[in-house]
Amino acid sequence: AGGLEPDLAALRQELSGPAALSVLIALVAVAVTFLIWRFVQGRRSSRKAVLLLGLCDAGKTLLFARLLSGRYRDTQTSITDSSATYRVSREKSTNVTLIDLPGHESLRLQFLERFKAAARAIVFVVDSVAFQREVKDVAEFLYQVLVDGTVLKNAPALLIACNKQDVTMAKSAKLIQQQLEKELNTLRVTRSAAPTTLDSSGGPAQLGKKGKDFDFSQLPMKVEFVECSARGSKGEDGDADLEGLEKWLVKVA
Amino acid sequence: LLTAPLPQERGGNNSFTHEALTLKYKLDNQFELVFVVGFQKILTLTYVDKLIDDVHKEFRDKYRNEFQQKGALGLLNGTFDFKDDFMRLLRDAEESSRVRAPTVMKTFEQSLKSQKTVKCMIETRGEKPKEKVKNKKNKGSKKEGTEVAAAPSKASGGDKQPSAAGEKEELTKDEILQKNREEFFRRHMKAGEKSRSPKPDAQKEKGKKPRVWDLGNSNAKVLDYSNSATNGSTEACPVEEFDPDMALGDKNREPGRLYDLEYESEDEAEEEKVVQNTSKPSAKKGGLGGMFGMLKGLVGSKSLTREDMDPVLEKMKDHLIAKNVAAEIAVQLCESVAKKLEGKVMGTFTTVTSTVKQALQEALVQILQPQRRVDMLRDVMDAQRHRRPYVVTFCGVNGVGKSTNLAKISFWLIENGFSVLIAACDTFRAGAVEQLRTHTRRLNALHPPESHGGRTMVQLYEKGYGKDAAGIAMEAISYGRCGARGAAVPHAAPPGPSWPFPVPPARNQGFDVVLVDTAGRMQDNAPLMTALAKLIAVNAPDLVLFVGEALVGNEAVDQLVKFNKALADHSMAQTPRLIDGIVLTKFDTIDDKVGAAISMTYITSKPIVFVGTGQTYCDLRSLNAKAVVAALMKA
Repeated sequence: AGGLEPDLAALRQELSGPAALSVLIALVAVAVTFLIWRFVQGRRSSRKAVLLLGLCDAGKTLLFARLLSGRYRDTQTSITDSSATYRVSREKSTNVTLIDLPGHESLRLQFLERFKAAARAIVFVVDSVAFQREVKDVAEFLYQVLVDGTVLKNAPALLIACNKQDVTMAKSAKLIQQQLEKELNTLRVTRSAAPTTLDSSGGPAQLGKKGKDFDFSQLPMKVEFVECSARGSKGEDGDADLEGLEKWLVKVA
Repeated sequence: LLTAPLPQERGGNNSFTHEALTLKYKLDNQFELVFVVGFQKILTLTYVDKLIDDVHKEFRDKYRNEFQQKGALGLLNGTFDFKDDFMRLLRDAEESSRVRAPTVMKTFEQSLKSQKTVKCMIETRGEKPKEKVKNKKNKGSKKEGTEVAAAPSKASGGDKQPSAAGEKEELTKDEILQKNREEFFRRHMKAGEKSRSPKPDAQKEKGKKPRVWDLGNSNAKVLDYSNSATNGSTEACPVEEFDPDMALGDKNREPGRLYDLEYESEDEAEEEKVVQNTSKPSAKKGGLGGMFGMLKGLVGSKSLTREDMDPVLEKMKDHLIAKNVAAEIAVQLCESVAKKLEGKVMGTFTTVTSTVKQALQEALVQILQPQRRVDMLRDVMDAQRHRRPYVVTFCGVNGVGKSTNLAKISFWLIENGFSVLIAACDTFRAGAVEQLRTHTRRLNALHPPESHGGRTMVQLYEKGYGKDAAGIAMEAISYGRCGARGAAVPHAAPPGPSWPFPVPPARNQGFDVVLVDTAGRMQDNAPLMTALAKLIAVNAPDLVLFVGEALVGNEAVDQLVKFNKALADHSMAQTPRLIDGIVLTKFDTIDDKVGAAISMTYITSKPIVFVGTGQTYCDLRSLNAKAVVAALMKA
């Protein structure tokens, strides 16, 4: 006990000197570095991803290939996601990460869960030729995407790309928009009337305004419709018809 | 291949048949590649597995840097000019399968029998033979032994035998001695035989191994008796690698727990120490290597091997079975997860257990995701637009809750403004019609016609007992289409505010939905299954719902398979109507043993449309995949 006291006294003497100041400065430096690091982390995890969603055989993987390499490739049904950085335009040096998700029913929701938080924009690819047959499935998937909590919170820009316009029987974007609005109108009522889930978590969020017919302008995010063709009108050797899509990507990035 | 087995976790065995082709595939989980070889089903090519492995190795080595560095862009932009390599590998594989000569039967000299018997036969007095012998075989081999034994002695004498057989020569003294020696030998052998026969019995007692009947925890090696004592060979029996401690049981096993037969006793206390476990064998070699292995596992450049995953998968399989998942399905699931994870590189700070658990969880969620849309209201509205009723048939075994859940579903439909016709096609069980009549009365009391614009929302169509169910169903459907006397009455008053859906202007007296209740039947009862199949084939309902209770365990698999088979066999159409959806009932009776949901969706790949959680009208829920999987994986 006697030995401790002189030590303490010596310590106190030391601290009161210039050493105290340097200790204080060191602490402040650490704190500032920490704050800067947190800030940078936050910025880096800001959403820079553009998701390609849609049903099976809508043309997402081919669109992905065309945007990145410009060439035509034979594709198979995706069973996992693919991502790559895409340089949006020659003038600006902004990059976005294009992520191509599988459209298979068992896989789509799982991959959406994984990537939805990082989404800055969503491209929903629709097969314009088979639309008439598949309108209910398209609407259901679109509904699931729109009603998702994270998507509603972040409100990423949404583009509905009506693909396969090179085929003569393809429906126009306007028609697709009208049909989707009608389907989503009925869907939001049937979905909210469905029996509640087992753990009775809150029911699905309401889409659009009550009382009025559903309209894409009622959504919190910007929605646009664009016609495109991943295969291109000249077949496999020619270029794809992706102008509208590319312009939109420039706007969004 | 890509749309069926791989996403649906059926990738356990690596071959898949489609029409006339068989596809064998191999997954590379490190670089996320799938290698597929297709050939005609009638051919049985033996070199396919080897070919796939060779192709896999070469392709991976050749294009390794493209995968690693450039990722998806590498895949897109790279040219994979592999055709020449592939043709070369194919040629090699074909040749190797041809070159292998047919196995020639071994000659007697080459066999073990001839070599070993000499040694065994020559015995001196006092020496105990070690082998376990059977007397008959002993004698047989002895005879040969004597010949063989005699042969060397004869051979040493040279070619005496032919000479003795040929001419009657005068035998020299040596020859006489030789002959006598042989005689003596022979007699000695026979004597030895007799004296030996009691000895082998005594020997048998000593050499007999204690039978281990303890089904739990016997090592699979101990139960494998196929190597010891091959027929006829009296070689020195190998000293059994028999560790009584190991065979008689793990000291720390849970008493009373019944393991599966193929359970290999592992250390129980290995849950969190799996990483160290893999480095244990390497630690035996050298401490440094073991430490690096462990560090490597932590940092994340370790790729998963089958041995790493096996203990974890065993545990997960038992856990699933404990949660009431059918046993075969748990096995297949674990196999598929193992195939998906083999060779995958683990991330930083992840243990094998957590990776496997994560993969299993994803697999379970994937299974529970519906393959087709689950929205009955939407389909009913569609049918409404086409002026025809939406027909739903309920089938299932006895006592699962068909009538109760039918009443719940009709209540739900009425709440949403649809009128329901209940067809009582259960003409067998006493009180079935009265039960439905009571439900109808109650539902009409809850939703009187006045609050729905003068329409009776629920009506019962019944024809008593003992009649043909398919006929009643057909009449009910046509009644539902045009109503009483087939009059189409335009709807007078505009719809009130309680009407959520846009209503078509002219509305006939028909009903929107027809719910057909059938009698419960066991899946093995062939005549009843035929009757059900006929009902469904003839009436072509929009939705065939199989009602199954959540309490069922392995039975679920059998029920669903047999029901589907019966429906497929007895329908005349090209594409037979099979079960379209499942209603899972009595869900409130199980706490978290929710495995039946997994079993049923795995077998049929059809969604669970409704879940029944009680006996009142409001106890109808829809399935929440994530909650079910969470309950399933919870320890």
